[in-house]
Amino acid sequence: MSLQPRNATVQQPADTTPAIAACGLGKALDDRQILREINLRVAAGEYIGLLGANGAGKTTLLKILATLMPPSQGEVCLFGQKLSPSNVAVRARIGLIGHQPMLYRDLSARENLTFFARLYAVNDAPARVDRMLRMVGLADRADDPVKNFSRGMVQRLSIARALLHEPWLILADEPFAGLDAPSIQSLEQLLQRLNAAGRTIVMVNHDIEQTLRLAERAIVLREGRIVLDQQTHRLYAREVLSEVS
Amino acid sequence: MIASLRQIALLTGKDLRIESRSRQTLGLVSVLGILIVAVLGLGLGAHNQVAAFGATAVLWVAYLFSGVLCFEKTMAVERNDGVLAALLMAPLDRGIIYLAKLLSNLLLMLAVAAIVTPVGILFFGFDLTAAPLTFAGVMSLSMLGFAAVGTLFAAVISSTRLQGGLLAMMVFPISLPLVIASTQMMLRTFRDGAGPGMTGMGILLAFDVIFLTVSWLVFEWVLEP
Amino acid sequence: MFNAGYWILTLLLTAAAVAMLAIYTPEEATMGPIQKIFYLHLPAAICTFLACLVCFVASIGYLTQRRNWWDDLAAASGRVAVQLCSIVLITGMIWGRSAWGQWWTWSPRLTFSLILWLLYVVYLMIRTSIESPQRRAVISAVYATIAFLDVPLVYLSTRLMVDIHPTSITLAMPMKLTLAVWFVPIVLLSAGLIMARFRLYQRQRALAPPARIEPGHNGFQWAAGEVA
Repeated sequence: MSLQPRNATVQQPADTTPAIAACGLGKALDDRQILREINLRVAAGEYIGLLGANGAGKTTLLKILATLMPPSQGEVCLFGQKLSPSNVAVRARIGLIGHQPMLYRDLSARENLTFFARLYAVNDAPARVDRMLRMVGLADRADDPVKNFSRGMVQRLSIARALLHEPWLILADEPFAGLDAPSIQSLEQLLQRLNAAGRTIVMVNHDIEQTLRLAERAIVLREGRIVLDQQTHRLYAREVLSEVS
Repeated sequence: MIASLRQIALLTGKDLRIESRSRQTLGLVSVLGILIVAVLGLGLGAHNQVAAFGATAVLWVAYLFSGVLCFEKTMAVERNDGVLAALLMAPLDRGIIYLAKLLSNLLLMLAVAAIVTPVGILFFGFDLTAAPLTFAGVMSLSMLGFAAVGTLFAAVISSTRLQGGLLAMMVFPISLPLVIASTQMMLRTFRDGAGPGMTGMGILLAFDVIFLTVSWLVFEWVLEP
Repeated sequence: MFNAGYWILTLLLTAAAVAMLAIYTPEEATMGPIQKIFYLHLPAAICTFLACLVCFVASIGYLTQRRNWWDDLAAASGRVAVQLCSIVLITGMIWGRSAWGQWWTWSPRLTFSLILWLLYVVYLMIRTSIESPQRRAVISAVYATIAFLDVPLVYLSTRLMVDIHPTSITLAMPMKLTLAVWFVPIVLLSAGLIMARFRLYQRQRALAPPARIEPGHNGFQWAAGEVA
């Protein structure tokens, strides 16, 4: 996966509007409280690693930030805009990398990206699509249907899909799962570059050491609450591990 | 407004392109429709035994079953690989997703109807020459209402592990006013020689308007867990 | 309020109503004693509609507020609606048999009762088909909303059907009185059944172990074993 350096930094509100501001956030599902009293402030351009055991609520929090779920209590503001079903415009600022590819397997790579580019009303869609395909190294397989791709290729295309509309906030849910070592390294580098260019990243990860290495701030969830929220350079892996389990 | 129409066109275009690649849905659904008409033809007796006003009833049975299959399949496209999440995150009104799905379903059903209706007319020897436009109009309006409800329900249940027949079970009783109204209108037109009647038309139109609106409004609430 | 005293009162009123039917109410001229089933039929029909209305309101309440007791109320009233509608159907058929010699005719009224019954039986079937409590609540709420909005359309479309046996009943004064008397225990019975079911569901919910998040919510299918 080759990377073209980004020359333009992200255009974001010039003031200190936080990328994410969550107050008293809670989520209940099926009579169980998944998240409780989450108070979170993420400044624009921060790289957050979200850690926690299974069932801690990491994915739920990410889904709420991605506008896929409404919170049961509290509210969330992204870039100063309150998240609500009617707030459609703020979604254009968010990109999600999951370990579900979120691609149409019957369409080709190019058709998938063109579709999403048009959906996000990207200017000059064909050029952007070409650039993204080159960035993830799929330019030569652009017209093959996605169902013929390997797992690594699908993940790369999914990353291209997530970044196509140049989101200010990148949400990544276990993005390294199932990737081989070279792909992991490429993705790590890509995320670093995106962050250096000013994009905010919130990454859910199981791998504590990788998270401490990549992210500048680690947040640990346990049973729906934030139990640790610190700059990573001050943390050791084993103390994080004790908080997680 | 224009932007919304463009988005609907984009989404429906995507559905139709996927359909043209796999060609699964149209083939399956049409064959099912033809089979149903054949079974009814065999069961109800030979040519010319069922009068022209029975046409809607026979075709309704075929459309109900094949339509439900159609709705399930177009929704299943979004459930593979979690693509629906990508659509939900896009900067568009979620009601647009509903309208686009409805349009895709309608176009597919019209294609199926184009195949199954002539077969039905052939097997049963229906003589619709007295009022072909009435027949077409009644069936089209009914199909619109049926698809409006079917699209909503298919979306609602698509996130669950599908119990076979659940969608059919949900859509059929709701659609009964359509069946009754269209059958009664056909009776009036082909047996009694009168027109289709304003009340019947009114019921079809009311059904379409009410359920299209309600489904479009409710859709947003329904796709969230 | 809905305790033993309530049920004793309902039972007494029912007994009184039956007694009244046997002793006081005159027989209708053409149909004979079986016609008296009408005094059960009509109140049951009204209460069916009221139960469906409660189900509708509860479903909308759930969809807007997502509080679980709305769901329990919808389930309770939906169930009672089916029970009442069964009574309406059966009494209607008995009446039809005695009046016109047929167990079933596709008359507007009987057809309407049948479709109403089907609509709400399906509601109960939906509830048993879905495991996840959250999904079940949402799906059945959507269905109940659509189903109730369908009811006037069902009514209008059955009116298009030809009524071979037009039934216009002129009620003499004692008959109207009997009808009024019969309304009371039927309404009490219906409300009591709904409340009893509702309480049962609330108790079951309090006792049930907390549910795990079902994998597959909203398009995210996580690998086996991973929950959140």
